[in-house]
Amino acid sequence: MTSTSGDDAAVGASGAATGHAAGAVGQSGQSGQSGQGGTALLCPKCSSPVASGERFCEACGADLGPAAAVGAPASTASVPPSQDAAPDGAGAPDGAVAPETAPAPCHECGGEVADDGYCTQCGAAAVSPRNHYSEQPAPEVAAVCDRGIRHVRNEDAVALAAGPDAGNRAVLVVCDGVSSSTDSDVASLAAARAARDVLAAIPGTRAGNSVGTRVAASAKALVMAADAANDAVIAHTSSRPGNPASCTFVAAVLEGVELTVGWVGDSRAYWLPDTGVPRLLTVDDSFAAEQIADGVSRAEAESGPQAHAITRWLGVDAPDHTPRTVSLDLDGPGWLLVCSDGLWNYCSEARDLAALVTDTAGRSGSGPLALAGALVDWANAQGGQDNITVALARVPSAGPADTTARSTQPIAVTAP
Amino acid sequence: MATFSADVYQNEFLPDGGTDVHAIVTVACSGAGEAGQSGSGDAAEIVIVDTSGSMSGENIVAAQRAAAAALDQVLDGVWFAVIAGSHQARLAFPQDGRSAMVRMDATTRAQAKAAVGGFRADGGTAMGTWLTLATRLFAAVPSVTQRHAILLTDGYNQHETPEQLSAAIEAARGQFQCDCRGVGSAWQVAEVRRIATALLGSVDLIAQPQNMAADFEQIMRQSMGRGVADAALRVWAPQGSQVLFVRQVSPTVEDLTSRRQDVNPLTGAYPTGAWGDESRDYHVAVRLPAKAVGQEQLAARVQVAVADAVVAQGLVKAMWSNDDTLTTRIDPAVAHYTGQAELAEAIQDGLAAKAAGDTDTATVKLGRAVQLAQETGNEEATTRLRKIVEIDNADTGTVRLKRSVSKLDEMALDTASTKTTRVKK
Repeated sequence: MTSTSGDDAAVGASGAATGHAAGAVGQSGQSGQSGQGGTALLCPKCSSPVASGERFCEACGADLGPAAAVGAPASTASVPPSQDAAPDGAGAPDGAVAPETAPAPCHECGGEVADDGYCTQCGAAAVSPRNHYSEQPAPEVAAVCDRGIRHVRNEDAVALAAGPDAGNRAVLVVCDGVSSSTDSDVASLAAARAARDVLAAIPGTRAGNSVGTRVAASAKALVMAADAANDAVIAHTSSRPGNPASCTFVAAVLEGVELTVGWVGDSRAYWLPDTGVPRLLTVDDSFAAEQIADGVSRAEAESGPQAHAITRWLGVDAPDHTPRTVSLDLDGPGWLLVCSDGLWNYCSEARDLAALVTDTAGRSGSGPLALAGALVDWANAQGGQDNITVALARVPSAGPADTTARSTQPIAVTAP
Repeated sequence: MATFSADVYQNEFLPDGGTDVHAIVTVACSGAGEAGQSGSGDAAEIVIVDTSGSMSGENIVAAQRAAAAALDQVLDGVWFAVIAGSHQARLAFPQDGRSAMVRMDATTRAQAKAAVGGFRADGGTAMGTWLTLATRLFAAVPSVTQRHAILLTDGYNQHETPEQLSAAIEAARGQFQCDCRGVGSAWQVAEVRRIATALLGSVDLIAQPQNMAADFEQIMRQSMGRGVADAALRVWAPQGSQVLFVRQVSPTVEDLTSRRQDVNPLTGAYPTGAWGDESRDYHVAVRLPAKAVGQEQLAARVQVAVADAVVAQGLVKAMWSNDDTLTTRIDPAVAHYTGQAELAEAIQDGLAAKAAGDTDTATVKLGRAVQLAQETGNEEATTRLRKIVEIDNADTGTVRLKRSVSKLDEMALDTASTKTTRVKK
C-alpha cells in the first residue's frame, strides 16, 4: 500500500487500509510499506513478526529502529523528532531522522549502555520503549503512555491516527491491560493498534449523510474496531494455563466537531470545552459504576475495595465485548481527553479534570504532547499507582455555519 | 573447556530511601579438566613438611607417609619439589644441586619418596623461611602458571619474629596458593590461618597423626582437579556507590574486601585462585545513593574473569518501591550466609576472649554462636560448640563455659569456624 496525500489517503500500519473517499485519515506526502501480505518484518531481538511502521516490537518491546518506522502513523514527517521522542530523552529516536541503530546513551548520565541493559557508568536501567512512549500523528493530536511508579510493566497502550490539519479525522484508542492477567501488556498494545487501524480506514461519513446515518455508521465502525481489538487480544493470548490476557477499550473518532466514542471497561473519554460544562462521556463498566447508578457517591464508590473491578473487558474470557457508544457534536474549542484509570483515579470528576487540564496547560503550554506528558507527570506525582495513558485532541473553534445546529448533548447513546 | 556460571540471589526491592543492596552470587565451574592440562601453562606443587625437633616420634613418621601420599597424587608432567622446614628451609627434593623443581614421572616420584623417607626431626620452627624458599622455587620455572603448596606444621613460629613471617607472607601473596595443616595441639590456629588466608588456601587441624596421609591425599587430589589456574571475581558498582564488602561465604567464609585490585575506577578484581569443578558462593554488598520510588538501578555486575576475559556475569539490581510486602522480605540465601558469617566471627571472638581470660565476653559470644548455628542449621558447628560450652537454651543462646575443655576440641572449633553449610535453595 502506498498512502497518498491529503484526505484521500488512508492510514494503516498493518496495511489493512486502502485509499478512501474524503474523510479518511491520511499522512501527507509519506509513503508507507505494506505489512500484511507485504515484506515480512521480524523483530531483530525476538523474531516475532512486526508490522511495518511500528516503533517497537509488540512481543518483547524491543526498539525496532528506523527500518520499521517508515510510514508509522505515530511519526509523521510533519512532527519534529524532538516531540516524538519521550520527554526524558529516552524514547526511540525518530526513525526518519536518526538512521543509526546504536543503542541510545544512558538517559540519566549519557554513559554507554551495556548489552545487559544497564549503563556502564551509573547503572541506570535503559528505559524500555514499551514503558514510556508517546505518539503524535498530527500537531493537534498526541498521547503519552507511561508505566507509572508502582507497576513493573506498562500494560496500558495507546494508538492514534490523524490527518495533518486541524479538522481532519482523529482517532484515539486507549486499552488498559488487566494486570492480573498474563501478557496483558502485549495484548493491550495489539488491541489498541488493531482498533486504530480499523477506525482510521473507515470511509468518511460527513458529506451528504444525515446525522442519523452518520451516527449509525460511526457506531458500527466502533463495533468493528472493538471486534478487531478483541481478536488481537485473543491472538496474543498465551496458550499456557492461567489468566488469559484481557484489557479495556475506549476509542474516540473525531471528525471536525462530530465525536463518537465507544468503550468496554473503565477507560474513559472526557470532553473539556474551554468554556462551558465539562463532561465525562463514558460510563464505566465497573462495579463502582453500578454502585453509583444505585446512588452511592462517585467518590465513595471509586475508593471502595472493588473500585477497580471491571464488569466488561476484551479477551478470550470476555462475556461480551460490544462497546457502548455515544455520539455528540462538540461546542469547541476545547480538549477531547481519552485516558486510562491511571489518570482519572486521581481526578475523576469532569469539572476537576477540566480545571487540572487548564492549570497544567498554563504551565506546560498548550501543545497536546506537552500537555499529555505534563498530565502523566502529575499522575506520577500523585503516586503513579497504575499505568497512565493520556490521549488528547485539540478541537478548534467550529466555523459559524457549523455551530448553529450543534448540541452538547449526546445525540445518541447505544447500549449493547 | 571450563565453563563458568554466575547466579544471583537477592531481594532487589529497596524501601524509599534505602541504600544497601545485598546479594549472594553462586559461581559454578564445570569442565575444568586437570591441573596443567589446559595448554595455558604448567602446574607446580610443593610439599612443605615441618621437620623441627618437636615432630620426632610418630609425627615425623606420619608426615613421611603423608608427603608420600601427596606425591602419589601429583600428575605426571606437573613440576614439583619437597621442602623440609625447621628454623631454616631445606630443599629436600630435587637434590641434584641444579634444579629448583622437576617434572613428575615414575623416576622422580620414587626419588622424592626416598628423600621424604629420610626426614629427621631436628631444629626449630621458622615458617617464613619455608614460604620464602617456596616462592623462590616457583619463580624459577617460568612455564608454570598454576602454583600450589601444602604446608604442614606442628608448632608455633618461635624462631623468627612475627614481622619476618609477615614479610615472607607478603612476598608469597599472589605467587602461589597454600593449604595449611596443623598436627597436634601445639600450633597456633591464628598464625597458620594468617598464611592460609593470604595465600588463598584452607587451614585445618589434623588431631591424630594417623589421619595425616588421607588428608594430604585429598588436598593434592583436589589441587590436581583444578584445571583453571586462576580466576578473579570482578565487581562493578556504579559511579557514586560504595562496595561495602565482598565475601566468600561458601564453602568457607573469607572476607575478600581488602584484596581488591582496581580493574578500572568502577570495577575491582578479587583473586579467587584455581578452580576445579565446584561452586562457591559470594556475598556482595553495595551502598547506592537512594533513588525515587519506582526507579530501577543496577547495583553491581558480578563477573568471573579468567586470564582477563569475562567468562560469566550476574546482575545485582535495585528497585525502589513503597510496597512493604516487597521491600521487607530478606532473601533466604542472604539471610543464611549473613548468619553463617556472623557465626564464624562469634566463634573466633569467643575463643579469643576465652583464651584471654575474659569469661563474660566468651560466654556471650559463644552463646550467640550456638544461637546462630541453631538458626542456620549448622549442626557440625553445634556439635563442636557443645564440646566447649554447656547449652542451656540454643534458641536464646544461653550457655555456660565448660570447666575443662580439650585444647584439640577448641582448635577444631576454631579451624572449622569458617566452614559454612550451603543454603537450601
